[in-house]
Amino acid sequence: MGYELREHTADIAVAASGDSLEVVFGAAADGFAAASCETVPAESGERFSVSVTAESREALLFDYLDELVYLRDVRDELPVDHRVETIDEPVQRADAGGNEPDAWSLEATARGVPLAEVAAREIKAVTYSEMRLERVDGGWEAYVVFDV
Amino acid sequence: MSNPTFDADGITLEQVREYVWEIPQEGEMRVPARVLASESLLEEISEDKTLEQLKNTTHLPGITNYAICMPDGHQGYGFPVGGVGAIDAENGCISPGAVGYDINCGVRMMKTNLTYDELQGNEEELVDSLFANVPSGLGGGGIVEAGVDTVDEILARGVDWALEHGHAVEEDLLHCEDEGMREEADPSKVTQKAKDRGKNQIGSLGSGNHFLEVQRVTDVFDDEVGAAYGLEEDQIVVLIHCGSRGLGHQTCNDYLRKIEKQHQGLLNQLPDKELAAAPAGSQLAEDYYGAMNAAINFAWVNRQLIMHRTRKVFERVFDRSWEAMEMDLLYDVAHNIAKKETHTVDGEERDLYVHRKGATRAFPAGHPEVPKAYRDVGQPVIIPGSMGAGNYVLRGGEHSMELTFGSTAHGAGRLMSRTQAKNEFWGGDVQQQLEEQDKIYVKAQSGATVAEEAPGVYKDVDEVVRVSDALGIGDKVARTFPVCNIKG
Repeated sequence: MGYELREHTADIAVAASGDSLEVVFGAAADGFAAASCETVPAESGERFSVSVTAESREALLFDYLDELVYLRDVRDELPVDHRVETIDEPVQRADAGGNEPDAWSLEATARGVPLAEVAAREIKAVTYSEMRLERVDGGWEAYVVFDV
Repeated sequence: MSNPTFDADGITLEQVREYVWEIPQEGEMRVPARVLASESLLEEISEDKTLEQLKNTTHLPGITNYAICMPDGHQGYGFPVGGVGAIDAENGCISPGAVGYDINCGVRMMKTNLTYDELQGNEEELVDSLFANVPSGLGGGGIVEAGVDTVDEILARGVDWALEHGHAVEEDLLHCEDEGMREEADPSKVTQKAKDRGKNQIGSLGSGNHFLEVQRVTDVFDDEVGAAYGLEEDQIVVLIHCGSRGLGHQTCNDYLRKIEKQHQGLLNQLPDKELAAAPAGSQLAEDYYGAMNAAINFAWVNRQLIMHRTRKVFERVFDRSWEAMEMDLLYDVAHNIAKKETHTVDGEERDLYVHRKGATRAFPAGHPEVPKAYRDVGQPVIIPGSMGAGNYVLRGGEHSMELTFGSTAHGAGRLMSRTQAKNEFWGGDVQQQLEEQDKIYVKAQSGATVAEEAPGVYKDVDEVVRVSDALGIGDKVARTFPVCNIKG
C-alpha cells in the first residue's frame, strides 16, 4: 500500500499500490507530491476538489495527474494529501448501434499548500512512458514516469 | 574483415566507421538506428534504456535513413534524449512525444565586453542581484504578468512582441533562429489550459536543470570563427537555459491525448504510447504543428525577457549602460523542437519534420537558413556542460547535413538519476566546494536542486564535444567556465 519513488536517469518514477482503484490513484498522486517536495508542511493550505473524466482507466489516471500539475500552476499551490473519493466505471458501453460510451469519472480532493511555503521543484508533466495500471492479487498497482 | 561490434545487453551495434555505431534493421524497425559515440560514451549510453528507446523510434512511419542518437544521449520517455528523427512531412507523421514536454527548451548566450578581472570582487553582489531579479523555481511568477490576450500575441509574434514592448532591440532578432518568430505559429491551437499555465510564467527560469550562468571564456580554439562570433579569452558571457514552461508542457500532453483518441490505429503500431504521432496531412498534425510553433515563440520570448532583465542587473552592479558593456546576443538554440526542413535524401530534395529532442540544430557555413551574421562561418551551437566542467561554443560542422540532418549534441547528458545524486551529494557541500575551489558562486531555491545538478551527475562534456568535433557535425570554437550560477 502506498507509493515508492523509483530511479530514472533524467526523470522520476512513482510505483503505487492499493487495495482499490481509488487508493492506488491517490497513492500515485501522493507520489507526485513527494517527488515535488521532500517535506510537506502538515497543516498549511485549504482542501479543494478535483473532478476528471476520461475514456479509459489508464487515461483517467493520466488525466488525473495531468490535472494536478495544471492546478499546481494555476492555483500556485502544491496539491498534497490526496483522497480519491470515487472512481466510476462507464454505465453505457459503446455498442453496435453507434452509441458513444460514457466516460470513466473520478472525484477527489487535495490540500493545496501555497508554493511560497515549500521548497518544491517543478515536475513538468506526467508521461505515458512505461505507464502501467494492473490488477494484482489483493488490489491494484500503478507505475508512472514524471518528466522533471 | 567484419566490422567491430558492441554488445549492449541484447542489442548488438556494428561500428560502420569511427564514432558511428549502427543497430541493424530487424523486426518492425522501418530503418536502422545509429549512435554517434566513442566507445566510452557508448558504454554509458548502453547502461539505461536509451538504445531500446532509439530502436522504438525507428517504428515511426516515414522515418528517414536512421533514428540517430547524439553522443550525449540518455534515456528519456518514448524518444531518447539526444535523439534526432527526420520524418517525411508528406507521408510520415509528427510526434509530440518525440519533441518532448518542454517545447523549445534551449539555450542562448549573451556576450559582454567585460573581462574576468573586471568582474572579480563583484561575484556575490551579482549572483544575489540576479537571483532576486530573475524569477526561478516553482510559483515564482514571471517578469511580465499578463492576461490571455498578451499570451496570444506572444504566441503569434514571438520576440517581435518583446521588441514592441521594450524587452528587446532589433539586433536581438537578427541573432536568433527565425529572427525569434515562427511564422507557422497558430495560437488558436494552444488550449486555454496551456495559456492559463503560461500567463504567470512569462520570463521565468523554472527549476530542474534550468539555470542562468555568468561565465568567462577560458579558451578560443578557432581564432577565425571566434572572431566572427565576437568571442575572446577572459571575456564575460551569460548563458540562459530554459524553455516554454507550463504552456509547452501542457501543449505536449494535450496533443498526446488528442492523438490517443483520434489515431488509435497508428498508436497501436508503436511500441511505446509516448511516441504517439499524428499522420502527416491529418488535421491533428496541422494543429499540433501550429501549437508547437506557438510554444516555440513563447519560449523565445521567455529567454529574451530573462536576457533583457539580466542586462538591467548588470547595469546596476557595474554602473554603466548595457550598451556600453556591449551585452549583445550571440545566438539562441532550441533543444526540443520539430521543424519542417528540406534535406537531400538519396540525391532527392525532401520535406522532413526533423524532430530534435535534446539535440541542437547545427547547420554549416553557407546554409541559407543560417542567419546572415554567421552564414560564412556556420551556425553557433551552444553546449552547456555541468557546473564544474564548463561549456562549449561550437559551429555547425560541414558533415552535419549528411550525418545528422544538420544536428549535434545539446549538453553533457545525465549519467546519474536525481535520487542517486541526492544520496551521493549534499547541496550545501557542493555549493561550498564550487565556491572555494572553483570560484563559482551558486544560488538556488533549493539545496536538493544543487545536489541533483552536481558536476558529478553528468557525462564528460569534453568527450561529447570531442566526438562532435571529430565527426565534423559541430566543431569546437570556444570554451567557457562558470562564475555565477542561479537556478530554481
